[in-house]
Amino acid sequence: MEVSSLEQKLEHSRDYSIEVTSRSFDELLIKISGNLTVANSEPARVDIFKSLNSEPLKNVVADLEKVNYLDSAGKALLLQIKSHCLQNRNSFKLMNAPPDTVRMIDKVEPPGAGPGVLAPRPEPGIIAQIGRGFQGIKDNAVQILTFIGAIVYAFGQDITRPGKSNWESLTKLMDKSGTDALPIVSMLSFLMGAVLAFQAAIQLRKFGANVFVADLVSLSICLEMGPLMTAIIVAGRSGAAFAAHLGTMRVNEEVDALSVMGIDPIRYLVSPRILAVALVMPCLTLFADFLGILGGLVVSVISLDLTPKVFFNQAYKVLEVTDVLKGLLKSLVFGIEIATIGCLRGFQVRGGAESVGAATTSAIVTSIFVITITDAIFAVVYHYVRF
Amino acid sequence: MDTKLEKNSVAISVRNLTVGYGDEPIIENVSFDIYTTQIAAILGRSGCGKTTLFKAAIGLVEPTRGEVLIGAENVECVAESQCEEVMKKVGVLFQSGALFSSMTLAENVAFPIQQYTDLSRKTIEAIVMLKLAEVGLAGYEAYLPNELSGGMQKRAALARAMALDPEILFLDEPSAGLDPVTSAELDRTILQINRSMETTIIIITHELESIFSVADRALMLDKTEKGIIADGEPKDLRNSTDSRVRNFFRRSIPEFLSGN
Repeated sequence: MEVSSLEQKLEHSRDYSIEVTSRSFDELLIKISGNLTVANSEPARVDIFKSLNSEPLKNVVADLEKVNYLDSAGKALLLQIKSHCLQNRNSFKLMNAPPDTVRMIDKVEPPGAGPGVLAPRPEPGIIAQIGRGFQGIKDNAVQILTFIGAIVYAFGQDITRPGKSNWESLTKLMDKSGTDALPIVSMLSFLMGAVLAFQAAIQLRKFGANVFVADLVSLSICLEMGPLMTAIIVAGRSGAAFAAHLGTMRVNEEVDALSVMGIDPIRYLVSPRILAVALVMPCLTLFADFLGILGGLVVSVISLDLTPKVFFNQAYKVLEVTDVLKGLLKSLVFGIEIATIGCLRGFQVRGGAESVGAATTSAIVTSIFVITITDAIFAVVYHYVRF
Repeated sequence: MDTKLEKNSVAISVRNLTVGYGDEPIIENVSFDIYTTQIAAILGRSGCGKTTLFKAAIGLVEPTRGEVLIGAENVECVAESQCEEVMKKVGVLFQSGALFSSMTLAENVAFPIQQYTDLSRKTIEAIVMLKLAEVGLAGYEAYLPNELSGGMQKRAALARAMALDPEILFLDEPSAGLDPVTSAELDRTILQINRSMETTIIIITHELESIFSVADRALMLDKTEKGIIADGEPKDLRNSTDSRVRNFFRRSIPEFLSGN
């Protein structure tokens, strides 16, 4: 066989011929000559099946004596003929075929009349889907509770036996989820403050209440927008990163390797992550608060003719230290939630690459969902509990 | 080298190939031809550049100098249509199998066929069943890769590599991590593919038993030479005058390390 044989094969691919004769009252002889390849197997199949369907009650013998070249598509065609014959309770035989081809065709159980191996898997019924959904919720709840239990135990161990904790990675993690997030957090909160001031200015100017822009911006940034924006950014950066990292470690059996070395994977991987994000979140939020107010100030000075001094005096009058602390407390809770959810989703990974992707998506979606719920709870609590 | 094989035309030609990561070349100025229907084993101790050579040969790593020709085409193809032509001739079995984890075995094997041909689904199904039966996995069509053992995954990956009846099959450590029986079965399958489809097969391996039972030519790479130190039939290489080659084939420790 030459190297350029593929081209030759294709050139000659159309020269096949099929001769169908009745050998006896119950036997059909199909003589195939030439080449049966990817390029011509479809027309050949149409030809052969036309004559097969016109004589459905006959056993079939395929004579391959004059076949020059037979590739997988050609063999597949023979298999399809065999399958057709067996469905009609007839027999199928090969004549003058190379032993490898005979062996292969004999070995394979023909596909039969079913949906086929490439058919999309059937969707389960609606009841089954609902059932599976509830089962999923139950399993998830059990896993979350177990995970939280394991985390509490791990932190207990960190306090009682601090020597064995993974303190080295803590600084690196704080650097990655804190310092590296600083530029994006700064930019977004500056813009958020500026936009808030700008939107408020349009309304407040009508009443000549320009100066209250400072109240609005400083209060809403410190109480709501600062912690919330920071949490969403950290969820997208660190939460997703934790889920993908731990998920891949699970796939590569690295987590199992830690376990058999006698190292608690929760203590080694999860608790430093939770601690790192919990420590870093209030710092990032404080930064976001500052830059948000700065953004408001810039817009006020440019478009509302306020002086920086007036803006700061007004903000100083209305903003109390407890307001900032309330926001920081919230962000601490957000941080714990984000890291816990990211690590949990990473540990839930089973299987391969697809599962890691699903875990990462789920980490972000769950984090944002939980952050929003927590924010609502804090709003109610802060309303009734006076600090 | 066997004169019978010399008569065949060249399937893959490696010319003055230098490949390296960064400044340090892993292999330097390597040239050899592999002829059609040959089963060539590329072997050598760990870290000698087997996998680097393999990656350069299938165009995954860009060589610093030199070229690899498959048929008449350079594997470093420029136009997409040209790449398709080259890659259609080549089937690759990766060390870890590299099956798509989200697809069933049948879908994995059908994937290249669906990409490159216009065959009907029924025909593709028949091809898939033939290919999976050929590697001994009939009946496992609907399984996902992670539901199977390592050996079965390897065999399924081999079925996928063969899906388009490639003229050249690259196998990167096919028997790594397999038990001796599975490994021997795989060797037999490789021989069958070579005989029935006249496929040229290039195996990267360091399993001596596989080399002796399958390969009709062995090329040995060395770390310090950064190139080929032996080329010939495996049984001849065992009696080579070069101690590095002899040590490899006799599983002995180099003299300066053994303390004698």
